[in-house]
Amino acid sequence: MLKVTNIGKAYGKFTALENINLEVADGEFLAIMGPSGSGKSTLINILGLLDQSYTGEYLLKNKNYKTVSDNFLSRIRGDQLGFVFQNFKLLTTYNVYENIEIPLIYSKKEQNNKRELIEDVIEKVGLKGKEKNRPSELSGGQQQRVAIARAIVNHPNLVIADEPTGALDSKTSKEIMDIFTKLNQDGTTIIMVTHDSEVAEYAMRTVYIRDGRLYNDEKSVKKS
Amino acid sequence: MTDKILIAFKSIGKNKNRNFLTMLGIIIGIASVICILAIGDGFAHTVTKGMGNHNTRNKVVIMYQPTTDDNTDGGFTNNDEAVLEKIPGVEQVKLASSVVEAGAKAQYKTKNVTMSLNKQPKHLKLVKGDYFQMSGASNGVYISEDLAHKLFKKNVLNRLISIDGTVFVVQGIYHISDMNYRPDAYVSKTIFKQLFANQISKDEARLSVEPKANKKWIGKRAVKQMKKMGEQKNIGTYKVSNPDQVSKQFTKILNDITYFIAFIAGISLLIAGIGVMNVMYITVSERRKEIGIRRAFGATSNDIRNQFLIESVVLCVIGGVIGIIFGYLLVAIINAFLPFKAVITAYALILSLSVSTAVGLIFGFIPSNKAAKSELVGLLKEE
Ligand SMILES: Nc1ncnc2c1ncn2[C@@H]1O[C@H](COP(=O)(O)OP(=O)(O)O)[C@@H](O)[C@H]1O
Ligand SMILES: [Mg+2]
Repeated sequence: MLKVTNIGKAYGKFTALENINLEVADGEFLAIMGPSGSGKSTLINILGLLDQSYTGEYLLKNKNYKTVSDNFLSRIRGDQLGFVFQNFKLLTTYNVYENIEIPLIYSKKEQNNKRELIEDVIEKVGLKGKEKNRPSELSGGQQQRVAIARAIVNHPNLVIADEPTGALDSKTSKEIMDIFTKLNQDGTTIIMVTHDSEVAEYAMRTVYIRDGRLYNDEKSVKKS
Repeated sequence: MTDKILIAFKSIGKNKNRNFLTMLGIIIGIASVICILAIGDGFAHTVTKGMGNHNTRNKVVIMYQPTTDDNTDGGFTNNDEAVLEKIPGVEQVKLASSVVEAGAKAQYKTKNVTMSLNKQPKHLKLVKGDYFQMSGASNGVYISEDLAHKLFKKNVLNRLISIDGTVFVVQGIYHISDMNYRPDAYVSKTIFKQLFANQISKDEARLSVEPKANKKWIGKRAVKQMKKMGEQKNIGTYKVSNPDQVSKQFTKILNDITYFIAFIAGISLLIAGIGVMNVMYITVSERRKEIGIRRAFGATSNDIRNQFLIESVVLCVIGGVIGIIFGYLLVAIINAFLPFKAVITAYALILSLSVSTAVGLIFGFIPSNKAAKSELVGLLKEE
């Protein structure tokens, strides 16, 4: 799915990422763990084509998007990627249905079955009957389900989730992880950031990040 | 497109008070635009109507003026018309009369009086007798008190008088006030046409000229020809009448008024525009999270720019529509005080909406551009 070679990123004098090498296969479910401030969000913003100012090489589906136009990047994000954020990032003045609709507004994919697509993902995340509700009328877990539905309504190849359970209790976290597991079983590649090892268990593989450096297992982190 | 406009309506509805205050400037500006145009159009309409509603562009009018007031018979004849038609550049000549009344001689017993007469009007207040529309060839006549006194020394009905040799019966007598001009007598429409209309002197010759013709030269030439060959050159003079000059003066006053109100409208729209810019800046900075979300899910920076531009335009057009409604009310009020009627034309509505749209586009552009160009990662950090 993607290949990262020697990626680095600095904020002024501060080095947020250094010498990152990572490969993720199609259909994989990868967890990225690390303490707060270690560079997890910085890394997945690069992987999600949200941040283009980095050094090194990043290939998504064997393509380098470093120098493509902003419009083209938007299209790739809209059609091939799906994002889930820790604090849901729903539009509070829009109802569930309208929030999930957002990626379809901008998609160039054919969509005369727009309504069907939305109803389909609403069913998948278990929110049937809540279409007309505002986010403020939903629990945290339900809001995150809306966010997941929004991320997958366009059937992306890769879903990127930044601490999707960070704002949820452990029972709700499990429900959310079940949805991710199912999604992965249906063929979607998932990269998920978390600092909860229980949540990371749901992934096939976990990598660790500390002070902007990536490690393949926990032991090597401790050694360094 | 409609869904994008709906999104704009939704966002505007979220901050009704703030947005209404912003619209106020547009409302005032557009209402003044409507008023200016209504007054201008109404004024122009009245002026052109007053000038006989003729397209004066391709016309030269030659007037005949009798030398003495007593003699009102003179004018252009059919031979004169033929002469005028031969002038190079003239396409067609029409003879007309600047007055619609006929002059005639009334006789009662031995008394002879010159008088003016016309076909009877729809309504007339009588001091004696009953007024009704006389049928076709009726020989009834309504006469003024003045004429009655001149002929009979008092107001009496049913006397027989002769007008230019035809006998009429006096049906009623009316008073002519100082305020109202009226002829000395009225006869039925049919009789007027049959007996008197052709006596009305043709004191106007209207020359239709070719579009490229030199009107000044044609005018001079026509007057010269008439002075030499006009059949009634001995009892009157000829001159070019120049309606253009009158309308030029009116137009100048009109333009001055228009420029003044346009200046006010311009300033209020400028202030309104700055208000729109301000509110759009606020909106953009309040909605950084929304922008970030949309960008992450496929919106291009153009999509974002358009979204805010549409919002700015919708805001201004709503203001414009309210302004138009206000303009209507204002024009209705103004009309109570104006000597002429201000009219709102379709052109005024289109212009108002175009101006609103333009204000939205111009003053919404910089804030919308700011929204479009914001850095994505920063936007997504917003809560
Ligand atoms: N825009 C920025 N400017 C400067 N420093 C930043 C910026 N964004 C993040 N950082 C720093 O980079 C480091 C990594 O941040 P981040 O990737 O958000 O960490 P996390 O692993 O908690 O997601 C942190 O020390 C943070 O302070
Ligand atoms: Mg983070």
